[in-house]
Amino acid sequence: MNERVKARTALGTAIVLVLLAPWVLDQPYWRGILVVCAMNVLLALSLNLVLGYTGQLNLGQSAFFGIGAYVSTLLIKSYGWNFWLAALVAVGAAGLLGLALAAFAVRLRGHYLAIASLGFAVITYQVLVNWENVTQGVRGIYGIMPPVASTTALFYLVAGIAVLVYVLIGNLVRSPIGETLRAIREDEVSAASLGINAALWKAFAFGIGAAIAGLAGCFYPGFVGTLVPDAFNIVESFTMLAMVIVGGMGTMIGPVIGAIVLTFLPELLRGFGELRLMIYGLALTLVVLFMPGGMVQAWMALRARIR
Amino acid sequence: MKLALKAAIFAIACAMFGAQAQERVIRIGVVMPISGPGSYFGVMGREGIDLALEQVKQPINGYRLQVQAEDSACSPLQATNAVKRVLDQFKPHIVIGDECSDASLAIAPILEQAKVVQLNAGSVTMKLTESGYKYVFRIFPNAEQQSLPLAKVAYERLKARTAVILYEKTNAGNDNADGFEKPFVAMGGKVLAKIDFGRDVNDFTAIATRIASLGKVDVLPTFALEGQTVRLSQALAQARVVKGGGGNAVQMGSIWLPYGYDQKAGQASQGYVRIVQFDPTENRKIVQDFIKAFHAKYGADKMPTHINAHAYDAILLVAEAVRRGATDSDSIRDRFTKMKDVEVTTGRISFDPKGQNSDLSVVHFVETQNDLSWKGLSWR
Amino acid sequence: MPDLLALLVQQSVNGVYLGCLYVMVALGLTLIYGVLNQINFAHADFVTVGAFTAFFTATRFATKVLGLPDAGAYLLSMFTALGAGALLGLAVNAAVFAPLRDRGDELRPLIATIGVSVLLENAQLALFGPIPYQFDSPFTRETIRLGRIFFSGQSVLVVGVSAAVIAALYAFMRFTFLGKALRAVAQDRETAGLMGINPSLLIGLTIVIASALAGMAGALLGPVLVLSPFAGASLIVKAFAIVIIGGFGNMQGTIIAGILVGIIEAFTVQYLGSGLIDLVVFVLLLVMLVVRPTGLIAERKEENV
Repeated sequence: MNERVKARTALGTAIVLVLLAPWVLDQPYWRGILVVCAMNVLLALSLNLVLGYTGQLNLGQSAFFGIGAYVSTLLIKSYGWNFWLAALVAVGAAGLLGLALAAFAVRLRGHYLAIASLGFAVITYQVLVNWENVTQGVRGIYGIMPPVASTTALFYLVAGIAVLVYVLIGNLVRSPIGETLRAIREDEVSAASLGINAALWKAFAFGIGAAIAGLAGCFYPGFVGTLVPDAFNIVESFTMLAMVIVGGMGTMIGPVIGAIVLTFLPELLRGFGELRLMIYGLALTLVVLFMPGGMVQAWMALRARIR
Repeated sequence: MKLALKAAIFAIACAMFGAQAQERVIRIGVVMPISGPGSYFGVMGREGIDLALEQVKQPINGYRLQVQAEDSACSPLQATNAVKRVLDQFKPHIVIGDECSDASLAIAPILEQAKVVQLNAGSVTMKLTESGYKYVFRIFPNAEQQSLPLAKVAYERLKARTAVILYEKTNAGNDNADGFEKPFVAMGGKVLAKIDFGRDVNDFTAIATRIASLGKVDVLPTFALEGQTVRLSQALAQARVVKGGGGNAVQMGSIWLPYGYDQKAGQASQGYVRIVQFDPTENRKIVQDFIKAFHAKYGADKMPTHINAHAYDAILLVAEAVRRGATDSDSIRDRFTKMKDVEVTTGRISFDPKGQNSDLSVVHFVETQNDLSWKGLSWR
Repeated sequence: MPDLLALLVQQSVNGVYLGCLYVMVALGLTLIYGVLNQINFAHADFVTVGAFTAFFTATRFATKVLGLPDAGAYLLSMFTALGAGALLGLAVNAAVFAPLRDRGDELRPLIATIGVSVLLENAQLALFGPIPYQFDSPFTRETIRLGRIFFSGQSVLVVGVSAAVIAALYAFMRFTFLGKALRAVAQDRETAGLMGINPSLLIGLTIVIASALAGMAGALLGPVLVLSPFAGASLIVKAFAIVIIGGFGNMQGTIIAGILVGIIEAFTVQYLGSGLIDLVVFVLLLVMLVVRPTGLIAERKEENV
């Protein structure tokens, strides 16, 4: 009972914060950053499902982000589809691609999977760059409209979806399916001895994770207005990874915190000019070395100290 | 005596107060890549801007120039954020940006909507001035302006009939390559191959070998940055494709290559024919003064490039507009549209109705001689 | 020599040369993996640091301060680059690999090295700026011709030095006590420890050797690469692909895979287009992972159940 109440109040607080955010940060620039933040939360949640809960070393999440962006944009621009229909197809396409990567995950583990997923992301990126007849390649696609006109409305839309996804994944993780995924993460061989079909559940995790990343991708082109493949190279995967790790892998709130911190930190560091990315790299290294559980762990440790 | 002194002090104080009260500011936003690989352009752009600001320190018509720079990292997303940030916090009258074509195109609609002039000093994409934006002005030659003369000279003067186009895989490279291909083919030439490569390619021996296997190639128009072009030229010379290596093909290029390229590429660059706009060997006073000032500020062994020069010119143009009475974005826009033959280090500025500088009177061809010096050619 | 044959031979020569470039970078990676089971993501940045060290040694220090002739300066720069790489390896081992060693965690050291890579790249950017430096060794401008086949002097140097280094490494591993101890640690750390070998020391030594290799690779590659702080990024992902195709931790496999990738790249450029290089190499990688996940030459280690 207590848990339920805590969860409900937490959710309520989150919703209130989301509603208030564009009015506290009421300049177009900061509202834009809020939209980026909401997208990053979605991406971090998606990676966390695969990496944090199912224990699969996935470095290729940027591929699904890109597929979501390109499939939805091409359907809208070239065939005049409605945004939501296009997004649905894009999410499906990303999910299917996720299943394809899962096929590798079934046979590979650890670093092999990491490099394979990296290769997957590189291939997807190269296809986006080279298949010029369809994607326009490096020339880019321009004049893309967001599904809703104002930045604030877009933020509410994406943040709303993020909250929804958060709740859904939270429920998933607490359900028996979540236990299955965690069992696979802890020890795949033992899980198999318990009758768990690891292949099936890995495919499930990859598919869902990819679909969510694809969903985030649907909002990206409309927000920026232009779409170029460069936004989906493998550096994006590392950024997502950083968000999950810095926030706290394998927890629900961790990726959210990581996404928020790593979205706002570079903006706040803008004053530092050239040192900005250096500080970023240093921060990432230090967090990984000294705060393995990320900020969530640090917070817990702090709370324990205070008590 | 005391009274006179008091009066004098009073008068001086009034003058100072009056001058302060009259001092207004023209705010110039600068959106350029300062991080990531694109910082190649942004760092040079900032150098040019900083130098120009030093020289325009005195108020013009009572207006001071004030600059705030933001980092676009050559990405549309970051450029969009950067321009929004600068619009929110700085409220500029004009924004100079970007260098990369992707970023320039991303910020154009935002600036158009905010009714702030965008002065572009570094992108070649045709789309920037072909999309109907009323607040965009560009002093950098666009892709067609660069490539059309190359094609003409190749076909008519060099009597070239076959070409292999080499270009970097970016918006700029693509546009320049197309800008050469269309007129060359229209005149009757044949493009044997269009070879593109990413900015992360280091070794060009395989590409040079491929070109050597294509048969008789007359010209090799190349659109890549200096670092890659040096390696490319050296590989082409090794493969005995270009004149510099004992072959027959003439490598051609555009303003992308700074002065000093020939020394870096060495013998491989012999016979290279290219368009030059900012020419440090030019005798015009404004060019020589710029070079002197550049040396004074950045070191005697550092030669300014066209990116430095164009950014420098951008500030000069803003200063000129203010001199002609501009006080805000719309009046700056008005003065720009009326500009004819304004002299800057990269030539003269006259904007056409689309906002593109169409005065290319300074642009000329040079051919690299055996001693790696330039010989100015009279073709246009 | 008929045209087609000359072309095929030339592209093969190009491919071998390109492959040696990659092998020089990938060898260190595979060494570290073999002994430590960790990936050093910052490895390619070590190469870049080595290249810059070599550049400044050869062009500023050796010629101007010491007054050495060009060839001597370049030779000296190879050693300073080696030293720089070794220092970096020492630092990263002490900061990242040693503290995290005993947990058997695969993810955290990888991410920590990603952080180090970002840090190194941007530190170099702050120090050296984004504009590429022109690093020419005395050998880059020399072209050697055998009939219709050509190669640059630098490529001969690269292939020669790589071969020498590989031979030296092989001899070291095979015939010296230290080398054998290293192989023992790679095979089974615990047992090796029980036999009186200090695993930590040896692992540290391996990382230093591998990073020194990277540094020297930088000196060799500097005259070939477009030398800017971003040079590492252009190499690292392909280096990983090669390490996997060859078999993680397997030196021979890495060498073969590297040369193979180089040749494939040269022929892709010839017949498909250079924009497709990455695509072809990584499709090959995925195919290998499906067909033969342990690499070209099967990894000797079995995964513990």
